[in-house]
Amino acid sequence: MMAKMVSLTIDGKPVEVPEGTLVVNAAKKVGVDIPVFCYHPKMEPVGMCRMCLVEIGRPVIDRASGQPLREEDGSLKIQFGPKLETACTTPVSEGMVVLGATEKVKAGREDILEFLLTSHPLDCPICDKGGECPLQNLTMGFGPGESRYLYDDKKHLAKHVPLGELIYLDRERCIQCGRCVRFQELIADDPVIAFSQRGRSLEIVSYSEPGFDSYWSGNTTDICPVGALTTADFRFRARPWELKAAASICNHCPVGCNLTLNVRREAVSGGKWVLKRVMPRQNEAVNEIWICDKGRLGYHFGAQNAERLEKPLVRKNGELQPATWQEALELVTERFQSVGRGLITLASGRLSNEDLFNLGKLTRSLGGKSILYSSMAGGDLTTQIGFAPGTNFADMGKESAILVVGSDLEEEAPLWWLRVRQAAKRGATLIVLNARQTKLDRDAHYSLRFPFGTAAAAVLALVNTLSPKRPELPESIQELARSSELKAAAKAFAEAKDAAILFGGDGMGLAETQALAQACANLLLITDHFGRPNNGLLGVWPRANDQGAWELGWQPSMNLPADLAQAQALYIVAADPVSDDPAYLNAFDGQKFVVVQDLYLSQTARLADVVFPAQAWTEREGSYTSGERRVQRYYPALQPNAALPPRVESPGSRRAQVLTGLRAELDGPQADFAIPAFLAEKLGYEGFVHASASLVFARLAAEAPSFGGLSYQKLAEVHEQWPIVGRSDLYYGGTTYENTQGLGVQLPLAQGGASLLSWPQVADFKLPKLGGIAFPITRLYDRGATLMHSQLLHKRIGEPYIILSKQEASRLKISQGGFVRITFTDAERSVVVQAKVDEGLPERVVLAPRSFGLPISGPTPVELKPAG
Amino acid sequence: MSFVKDTLDGVKATFTGLATTFREMVRPPVTIQYPEEKRPVRPRFKGRHVLKRYDNGLEKCIGCSLCSAACPADAIFVESAENTDDERYSPGERYARVYEINMLRCIFCGYCEDACPTEAIVLGDNYELSFTDRRSSIYTKEFLIEPVPEGGKATPQKVEPGIYTRSVPAMKDPED
Amino acid sequence: MLAEKYAQEIQTILAKYPPDQRRSAVMPLLYIAQRDKMYVNREDMAEIAEILGITPTEVASIVGFYSLYYEEQKGKYHIQVCTDLPCALRGAERFMQELCSRLNIRPGETTADGLITVEPVMCLAACDKAPMFQVQSGAGLSYHENQTVESALALIEQLRSDATRKRGRDSHV
Repeated sequence: MMAKMVSLTIDGKPVEVPEGTLVVNAAKKVGVDIPVFCYHPKMEPVGMCRMCLVEIGRPVIDRASGQPLREEDGSLKIQFGPKLETACTTPVSEGMVVLGATEKVKAGREDILEFLLTSHPLDCPICDKGGECPLQNLTMGFGPGESRYLYDDKKHLAKHVPLGELIYLDRERCIQCGRCVRFQELIADDPVIAFSQRGRSLEIVSYSEPGFDSYWSGNTTDICPVGALTTADFRFRARPWELKAAASICNHCPVGCNLTLNVRREAVSGGKWVLKRVMPRQNEAVNEIWICDKGRLGYHFGAQNAERLEKPLVRKNGELQPATWQEALELVTERFQSVGRGLITLASGRLSNEDLFNLGKLTRSLGGKSILYSSMAGGDLTTQIGFAPGTNFADMGKESAILVVGSDLEEEAPLWWLRVRQAAKRGATLIVLNARQTKLDRDAHYSLRFPFGTAAAAVLALVNTLSPKRPELPESIQELARSSELKAAAKAFAEAKDAAILFGGDGMGLAETQALAQACANLLLITDHFGRPNNGLLGVWPRANDQGAWELGWQPSMNLPADLAQAQALYIVAADPVSDDPAYLNAFDGQKFVVVQDLYLSQTARLADVVFPAQAWTEREGSYTSGERRVQRYYPALQPNAALPPRVESPGSRRAQVLTGLRAELDGPQADFAIPAFLAEKLGYEGFVHASASLVFARLAAEAPSFGGLSYQKLAEVHEQWPIVGRSDLYYGGTTYENTQGLGVQLPLAQGGASLLSWPQVADFKLPKLGGIAFPITRLYDRGATLMHSQLLHKRIGEPYIILSKQEASRLKISQGGFVRITFTDAERSVVVQAKVDEGLPERVVLAPRSFGLPISGPTPVELKPAG
Repeated sequence: MSFVKDTLDGVKATFTGLATTFREMVRPPVTIQYPEEKRPVRPRFKGRHVLKRYDNGLEKCIGCSLCSAACPADAIFVESAENTDDERYSPGERYARVYEINMLRCIFCGYCEDACPTEAIVLGDNYELSFTDRRSSIYTKEFLIEPVPEGGKATPQKVEPGIYTRSVPAMKDPED
Repeated sequence: MLAEKYAQEIQTILAKYPPDQRRSAVMPLLYIAQRDKMYVNREDMAEIAEILGITPTEVASIVGFYSLYYEEQKGKYHIQVCTDLPCALRGAERFMQELCSRLNIRPGETTADGLITVEPVMCLAACDKAPMFQVQSGAGLSYHENQTVESALALIEQLRSDATRKRGRDSHV
């Protein structure tokens, strides 16, 4: 349904915009700048700052005839109001005339700026916003050169107020626009900062513990139109104009937020390029203009530091010792060749499409087996009935339904939480089906709970109410299945024009997520919600490129320890199974040949025979496939410690040989796609490329069907996005970067479709009478290798812990924060951890966060004892 | 007679010349014994930069990089860091951790002086800028900063909390 | 803990609001907290936030906005002198200055014994009877009109002796 269009003129330019558009946005569309401070295109207007005052005239309508009156020359008679009006709160109307550059308007702006500056410290030289500051820019553009106020009367306030350890407040600089407070309340739904006091004493306070306790806090520094809010990470680290920008993609979760990495050469790092800050880059189909704090502050893993591996390591006399690439590659080639089919390549979704393609191809050529290191399955279904091209959460509204099942969405993929929530606010039916309460429940229309361990059965219960074919449901789910709320939710889902399902691995392991994915697929298939935009299945994967791995044919193993134990040689890339679960230690018995390729000397790498140093995603090119099946490019921001010597491939073969012979010895870390190609070259395989990521991608596009027709050029295409942000007019959208480097391309769905309907086996799941079952949960801030390098977040990450039910806590006589010894019966391993008590948790259920050093990959029996 | 006239003219010319010679012999010399002796410079001479200190020894430079932004030759490199009251280099929150000027690039235009909000960088009267390799053309902060004035303390200083909260000295009302 | 001490009262207050709009009860609950100690401390804010299902920051924001909620401990009795224009014309400002100097404090401060706080406030709707003030304490509010410094000091003496007597009695119980 098209909205009614309204035409008006702004500063003499005719404009046509949909009804309800605000004057300030209409002006933006035709390139007329109406300055604002409190207005933000992503939030409802409040009209607090009065910066956007303009003259607005409306046609005079004759009361009797209802016709507009005309001047003598035939033009419409326009009547202007006696006062200036706020362009940010006034919607357009037919025939409106907006004047934004008259003397009256200029005088109004001058006065507002003069007021704002009465107590502004004007310490721009040391302000981190200086250079990208709306107040600075607008004062230059519209402000008075001089103030009539006395400098002595300036109010002096605290300049160093930590709102928690991540965000600092400078009270003097604050102009009280309320953007940050409104963002936290309306968009982040974490009202943990607020205004206190009144008038000139107004200040921003945070009473949460820890201060400013939100995963979204960094965004407030982007939209703050002055330097009042700054991140602890970037404070005084560089001036904005000194920074160089490189487009990148966040690699923490499957959302694939578009980032801009700001780098600068740093003298104290010996003149090297150093990552100074991470900023969001606009992609309205992915992250809009937001990123979570993990993406913003958790980048240090990809930075260059002393712990990074510099040289290949080879085990000699029982110890890993530095070696040349030549030596290491030759050794690995020889051993892999002799093992052949006995090779297992284990890689994680932290790798790019190009890496996984080359690794998979090498493994196939050797006759080995590729295994995706992941705690979730079901990607075979998302490649076929996943999000179809054209899917965008922003397009989901009144006629859509979204089912989120088995996922604590804000913890697992924060931006999806934000976008799903906004879809629900626009009117989409949101069904949250979980074993426990999550933040998304606040916005759910149907908030359903299934007993722990019965996620797939709960989805089948939805299917049951809709389908004539009724799969048997286990006993434990019957109560939910009979509830009228579930029936209503199923009906709403089936009747929605578009419907999408997000499934996660909350409380589940591989087998459980496989069953859940199948159940979800069934629901989509019987309700015909697949194969077209804004429909389909979305996996809330643990890693950034898990979807890409599935698209390229990688799959996890249902029994990884056994597979690893049987292998004769292991090639482990960007995965650290030993720190995740010491059970894997058994696989490293010293009999098999183990090659590890990583950035750091991980626990697994310590056990390897050969370690290859890899380049971080900040140092090289590549592409990730997001959960929404969008292939997105990232670009190098830093120079690798030693640049890859280019292999000359294009000139005639003889010349190439000579030129290649001239290149320097391979040195320093290499790209993950290049190392398998080096091995392939030594093994004499054809069809491997290592010169550049774009060449690998070209091969990939030629060989992997779903990537057909794609190229780096295509991925780099952009089109105009709304709102217009990141240009010189920083006052409008904040310091988010404009996207000029590529919006990415969504992959077409693989063939399969309706043939996927099959009924997963759902065994009845009952909690034990004694002991307990630990269910894995995902926390955004975990103790995984990718986050522990970010010192700033350590306090938020905290020590390892588990969550207990009230009954369990009272049985063990433990209070909140007490210590408990948890024994994983299967793994025969026990750990002492802190206990948190959740009153909503059923008895016998223990929640154990992943990547906190606890050996948990799925529901696991445990025993608990108090630890003194 | 032209011979006599020529001779007389020659003698006259010789003595005119010698007169200049003898006059100059008793005049004080124009040249000076550089480098033992140095010529004074004009008040607005633009020589080597000096980074100034306040009387108490704190550095005036707050690491704002405005000099580097103003520099048309891209000769200045500044890297800032945060002050604490335990380790204070300059008033306010920010100080220059690294301050370098590449003298091969500097054109002594004085824009850095104009840009400086705290009058920390001043083009002094030192014109002795020879160096023998490119590395030593980069003058560091330690080299550029003036010595601690008498009565002041060296930086970093440990100071009472809450005194030095402002980076830019309080501005005078322009009306005064 | 407010929830235990005033369980009944809190229930009565909460019953007045629909369950999904509990946050509206924040003002009366803050009033209970303030009556209890004559100021609202961080723990009380956190507790009220928990009762109402909002964040402590939101509660703190309300405490900060209203000038009659106190965030830190002041005197047991607040002598709130209206100093708006009509009262000032009748000498309220001079009255307050003098009262303060006799008590050896500045406006807004508390006497050394921690009992009396004198503070200027906005209109108390008794312009014709200025100088006037209200005394706010745990016992509630009382108006005192047409005051002189002497009458005010007499009242303060009275309040002080009340406080001592009460303390003496409490210690015997």
